[in-house]
Amino acid sequence: MRRWIAAFAAVAHRDLRVAYGSAGAWVFLVAQLVFMGLFVVSSLQTTGEASLRPVLPNVAITLVFCMPLLTMASLAGEDRRGSLELLLTAPVPLSALVLGKWVAVVVQCGVWLVLTLPVVAVLHRFGDPDVGMLLGAYLGLGACCAAFGSVGLFTSSLTRDPMVAGVGAVLVLLPSWLASALATEAPGEVSRYLEAASFVHHLQAAARGTVHGGDVAWFAGVVTLFLFLTWRSLESRRWR
Amino acid sequence: MIRTRQLTRRFGRRTAVDHVDLDIDGPGVVGLLGPNGAGKTTLMRLVTGYLAMSEGTASVQGHDVFEAPLKVKASVGYLPERPPLDPELTVGDYLRFVARLRGVPAAQRLDAVGRALERTRLTHRERDRIATLSKGYRQRVGIAQAVVHDPPVLILDEPTSGLDPAQLVPLRELVRQLGADRLVWLSSHVLAEVEELCGRVVVLHEGRVVGDGSPRELARAAGLSAWVELVVDESGVDHRASLAEVAGVTAVERLSPGRYRLEGSGFEASVAERAAPWGMRQLTPRVPGLAEAFLALVGSR
Repeated sequence: MRRWIAAFAAVAHRDLRVAYGSAGAWVFLVAQLVFMGLFVVSSLQTTGEASLRPVLPNVAITLVFCMPLLTMASLAGEDRRGSLELLLTAPVPLSALVLGKWVAVVVQCGVWLVLTLPVVAVLHRFGDPDVGMLLGAYLGLGACCAAFGSVGLFTSSLTRDPMVAGVGAVLVLLPSWLASALATEAPGEVSRYLEAASFVHHLQAAARGTVHGGDVAWFAGVVTLFLFLTWRSLESRRWR
Repeated sequence: MIRTRQLTRRFGRRTAVDHVDLDIDGPGVVGLLGPNGAGKTTLMRLVTGYLAMSEGTASVQGHDVFEAPLKVKASVGYLPERPPLDPELTVGDYLRFVARLRGVPAAQRLDAVGRALERTRLTHRERDRIATLSKGYRQRVGIAQAVVHDPPVLILDEPTSGLDPAQLVPLRELVRQLGADRLVWLSSHVLAEVEELCGRVVVLHEGRVVGDGSPRELARAAGLSAWVELVVDESGVDHRASLAEVAGVTAVERLSPGRYRLEGSGFEASVAERAAPWGMRQLTPRVPGLAEAFLALVGSR
């Protein structure tokens, strides 16, 4: 177990160092801070509501397009420059490699979320935001980052081309976003299935400041499924 | 140290490594030679656990690659054909990361990195970003990452590929030093390099081992024997018939006008006497080298 933790920590630490030496992490950070700021200002002007509830779905949707910036090179870039061969011939369990890479992505999202905290101060200045709803919004965004990060990692494990990996991640996430829009038009039973597939739908409880077990299970399920698929994809490389 | 039995790897219909049996023990430098596409990289990747075998077994230090991959990986230092570097990191940071990755305890990590830097003569470049290094220095960083955990087995895939002569000499010396206390298994296209560094050479062709032994043993296996080169003044006359009459000469070949290859034994004095009137310039014993053995083993198939 100690060996596993050491390998996991080594991978996560190295990925964080490399990430902030490349453009992807910085573009993600700046873009997401700008989007968050614009959405909050716009929301304050139109609804006058000192809350993150109205902006949460919009920010989550921008993550569909920006998260691949963090994940596209995670494995595809390593493969392209040859450093994946080092990771796969070092005494590192594949589970430690996959989790280390995923945690590095989630930590980068954590940095973004911490830097958005001044938004909370702005909301306090314009009203009296509900702390529970704020916490819910941040939990919801964290859950999106975790889930989208695992999807991005998976698509990155399938190709040597980071651009293809990035586009692939968007294409996998896009239906989940569109499902929420289609759900309103679809008949009852189909609508329920579409809602179940939509991450926007699973953010609604969090936006209201409540934690719904089903939503937690949904995000945890997405993370587990795509991390498992990433692990299988790396394992299958030995046979390809 | 490295054992393979009927080791086979197929990619679709193509068999890249075909039922290879090897027993390689250290310390020392053992070469793996073969033309492009012979299966050298695939064979090394199978032994390091990067690729899975289609058939057969492989083990390193007694650990089976399939059943105990982490133990195998812990006892191997591997330099792939393209050094697996992180250009964004400094040499020191990169080696500390690799040491951590390869399980060097925290208390010994700094010493291990220092030793690897010293062995590869990179101490003065420790704080430089890898992106700023020349190809020769990058290759050295590649070797440093392979030795940072002091493994008993070192596998180097084309370690000198693309280096200029000024970079080649120190790198070869480094490989020789590393082979003093561990097994170094290296692949190369450069026959002279393999001949200079390796006491034993494995020749791979179309996935199969077609030769295994010292360069002299390979020559013998290829049916090559020692010969004598005779050079006389070019006069337009073909002396083959006359040379074939000399006692002890079993075969004569005209390599070029005035230049002959003689096989047999105990004929040197007689040939020198006969060739003196033709303006003999040179009578030199030739021992078949690795290049000839390699060409005979690979070219004949």
